[in-house]
Amino acid sequence: MATTHVDNAALFAVLSSLADNKQAIGRRYAYWCNGAPALEAAVAAAAMAQDELGHARTLYPLLEDFVQAEADRGQVEPMTRTLHYHLAFLDRDFQGWSDFVATNFLLDNALTTFFEAAQNSSYEPLRQRARKIVQEERIHALHADGWVRRLARAGGAVRSTLVASLERLWDETLCWFGPGDDPTMHQLYREGIIDATPDELRSRYLQKIMPALSSLEIEFPASFNTVTKRWELRQPLPWDTWYAIARRYGSSL
Amino acid sequence: MKTVTSTTNSASQRRTALNETRVWHVYARRKYEEPLHEIGNVMADDVELAKVYARSIYDEFSWVEMVIVPRDCIVTVIES
Repeated sequence: MATTHVDNAALFAVLSSLADNKQAIGRRYAYWCNGAPALEAAVAAAAMAQDELGHARTLYPLLEDFVQAEADRGQVEPMTRTLHYHLAFLDRDFQGWSDFVATNFLLDNALTTFFEAAQNSSYEPLRQRARKIVQEERIHALHADGWVRRLARAGGAVRSTLVASLERLWDETLCWFGPGDDPTMHQLYREGIIDATPDELRSRYLQKIMPALSSLEIEFPASFNTVTKRWELRQPLPWDTWYAIARRYGSSL
Repeated sequence: MKTVTSTTNSASQRRTALNETRVWHVYARRKYEEPLHEIGNVMADDVELAKVYARSIYDEFSWVEMVIVPRDCIVTVIES
């Protein structure tokens, strides 16, 4: 049994969510290993599924070292875990390739934004993993960007299906960083585990995704502020159904 | 019948819109003292996707270098 020595509920909660999201993304990606629109894309999907499941596999063992894991040891093993702190969007199978691309572009990029903020983390196990994950995610981001451009430029039903997938995931992904005063993320920021507040993480994320969406004329409620030179949300996010413990819409399954 | 034809055409148009048409030759080497040699090819209209595909398909070795060359840039000197 691992030695329990970390007592940090906020970090335990975020690591649980990261691991569950990575695990769920990997499983959803895996379903498309033989269903992508081209052989090349299928192989890329298989490689990315492997990466995501690998990321989950490096994150779950960290939970074992937490005091918070003592209440129920079964919750720190992916095989026995019954809590699911991944986004509600991942509860069901992807409806099509556009859901794969939307997850790759929106959610995968959001989680990478968090890992980028943890590359100099005061919590060494996360720092080590964050650097490796960020490195591996570069190729995922290229894949996402290429496919969003490809589907958007195809026009017609292909483009509208992509936009519908992106819209279904948009709010929940932006909410994952937490509200501006989210005590969990703020604690991680204060303790030097990440180098940004929830609002700053969300802003970094918008700078990452909005240029591509804007260039493709895909409309989302964010605009470029010519004074601050940054993309900003135009309207508040819907927090009424966001469940802070699981960092998702609705309660966990 | 008209509906079926319309649906079929629509699906066909979607497939056509997503068909990759550009072939990229993939070259790589495992050691610095070796020359690059052709290890295969990928199809992608987008250069960034072509790079992703080349990396994920030809990942059997730890290459020290990998490049892709669009087939339509190759100039034939002696035709086979």
